[in-house]
Amino acid sequence: MRSSVKRPPTPDAEEEEQDREPTLQEIINIKLIESGEKERLKELLRERLVECGWKDEMKALCRAFARKRGRNNVTVDDLVHVITPKGRGSIHS
Amino acid sequence: MSSSPKSSHKNHRSHFPLQKSLFQQNAAFPHSSPVHTTSNKTANSSYGKPISASNNFAGDFNHPCPHLLELRSKLGPNPFRNLQDCLEVRPLGRVSVRRELGQEVVQCGACKASSPRLFACVACAAVSCQLHATSHAAQADDNTGCSSPSSFHAIAVDVDRVELFCCVCKDQVYDSGFDAAVVLAQTAASSAIGSIHCPPPPVPAENLRKRRRVEYKPWTPDPNERALIVEKSSPLPSRPSQLGEADAELPWGLRGLNNLGNTCFMNSVLQALLHTPPLRNYFLSDKHNRYFCQQRNNVISTRSHDSNNHSNKNAARLCLACDLDAMFSAVFSGDRTPYSPAKFLYSWWQHASNLASYEQQDAHEFFISMLDGIHEKLQKDKRKPQIQTGSGDCCIAHRVFSGILRSDVMCTACGFTSTTYDPCIDISLDLETNVGGPAKLTSAKSNHSCNGVPDSKNACQSTGVSTLMGCLDRFTRPERLGSDQKFYCQQCQVRQESLKQMSIRKLPLVSCFHIKRFEHSHIKKMSKKVDRFLQFPFSLDMSPYLSSSILRSRFGNRIFPFDGDESDSPNELSSEFELFAVITHSGKLDAGHYVTYLRLSNQWYKCDDAWITQVNDNIVRAAQGYMIFYVQKMLYYKASERQVAL
Repeated sequence: MRSSVKRPPTPDAEEEEQDREPTLQEIINIKLIESGEKERLKELLRERLVECGWKDEMKALCRAFARKRGRNNVTVDDLVHVITPKGRGSIHS
Repeated sequence: MSSSPKSSHKNHRSHFPLQKSLFQQNAAFPHSSPVHTTSNKTANSSYGKPISASNNFAGDFNHPCPHLLELRSKLGPNPFRNLQDCLEVRPLGRVSVRRELGQEVVQCGACKASSPRLFACVACAAVSCQLHATSHAAQADDNTGCSSPSSFHAIAVDVDRVELFCCVCKDQVYDSGFDAAVVLAQTAASSAIGSIHCPPPPVPAENLRKRRRVEYKPWTPDPNERALIVEKSSPLPSRPSQLGEADAELPWGLRGLNNLGNTCFMNSVLQALLHTPPLRNYFLSDKHNRYFCQQRNNVISTRSHDSNNHSNKNAARLCLACDLDAMFSAVFSGDRTPYSPAKFLYSWWQHASNLASYEQQDAHEFFISMLDGIHEKLQKDKRKPQIQTGSGDCCIAHRVFSGILRSDVMCTACGFTSTTYDPCIDISLDLETNVGGPAKLTSAKSNHSCNGVPDSKNACQSTGVSTLMGCLDRFTRPERLGSDQKFYCQQCQVRQESLKQMSIRKLPLVSCFHIKRFEHSHIKKMSKKVDRFLQFPFSLDMSPYLSSSILRSRFGNRIFPFDGDESDSPNELSSEFELFAVITHSGKLDAGHYVTYLRLSNQWYKCDDAWITQVNDNIVRAAQGYMIFYVQKMLYYKASERQVAL
């Protein structure tokens, strides 16, 4: 068995953070995840974004960018940085 | 901390609450516990190609990043066999790394961030966000000659998506073995058996014979055949010059059709069919000889023992294919005076007596009815057991137009998928209704050739124009069936909400797209016509709408390693189509006019009943398409076991 696993050094800051009370936001997030509702919300959001064409738009933007830069010169990070402002901007409340 | 394996996960505390067996026992990647990992250094490396040193990026499938390659070389054979135990597969193809109950919340070890993406190190299960993934790989790296994969921290797994990430290259990487194992888990979850070893759903074998292709061999007649040709045929006039020089340049088969009383619906469809390449070739090659057919019918009718003798006599004389054969001969004879398809109209009235009138009719309805008439007659002739229409062997109409649609209904609760295959003669597409949402509604599906003008696609997107490819996108998009349409799921044993998705299993030789240009309003209890403009390309690549592509996209960002049952490489070779005819409609729902645009030798002609004029590209592009016809660019010869005489 793996007795020789080299584990990363434990950051010292961890001790402090554990004592602090979780914020309301964190509590809500945890509750949402644990109950499975967050996943349902995400699924619903995915559907809506597909229905209104947002996903296809983002795909087209990514393709255009990848074509410009060259297929082997693009990272996921680049794509995310390119489409994030446009993606957020095109969704109005 | 104690060094026993079971408790060693406590080192990671609650920040890394992943199921321990994913990484601790290293069951996911290296081989199982008793065997030490240093043994097998020779990789089952499927890459085989040297890595290009100049590539700074993580590379693509053919040139994986050096770190992934290094990891693979340290792993033994079949390293992913236990991966499925570490995955949680939810319905609709969502897969993530499994977490134990009470420990669903995952955070970065360094900064406690929980979004947007978290990666779990393959070697030690440490979870990091993207920012800290690199530092984890760097500080934990211990590759001073040790070949143990547990000391190689460069590769991590996206916790929510189960996708590989190289912390050093800072980019997503792909491994076919890994993806194969993930896809297996996903498909297993959506099948009734639920076993990990379940193969993808089988295709109904009787419908689809394995299509063996033969090499194209050019043919020229030998002297005997040449003599036969000269003796048995009469040449067409080389250049019909009744109407002068201008006429001489017009292509063969271009001839107006007289309107016999609101018959533009018929004329428009006939013009398109007269110039449908496979259909035209069939009739002009005398594959359905109307004289032999009539002779045979007379023999049948005199020999008939049917109780319903009267209708049989009618049926014997009625043959839409013969009338079509006569029309082909007339239209391609070189005579340019408008032709009156009276005999054909009369025959069609007999076939579709409910539509027999001088009222205006729908062209699409006529199209279906006519193909059905050809099929029926030829089927009766054969007097064989019914051949599946999907295979297209029953009659020329189906051979040309019949494709197969695949319909998947997926249970949203358990993911079980029910698949059916149905033959189709054409595809009816809804015109998008502008909901007025914030994001633009049109989409240009791919960077495949589209008008040859890439910019026009982007222009369409920003101005909100409907495109044919957008309609096809919507046609193949997963659609959530309403709560009043709950589908009975075999696995759950109850009615559940479900998602339905269409895709094309087999492409026809000729694709006819019928645009549903009518809207029924329940409030006003009437239908009205939708005049919205639809942009359509001159060249169309259908591969994104094939079942293989649709299935592939359902599994996420995977290198799809299977051949499965869907990889029908002839399908992929022959998914490029060219536009050759457009039937347009102008006017209202109950009163209007049909016109057909034909593309012959890359020149467009407007066929308005008896009047044929040469027109510019742009006229056609701006027209209001109602039925749009595309033909496969490349036709393949199929090897057949027997002589097929259609």
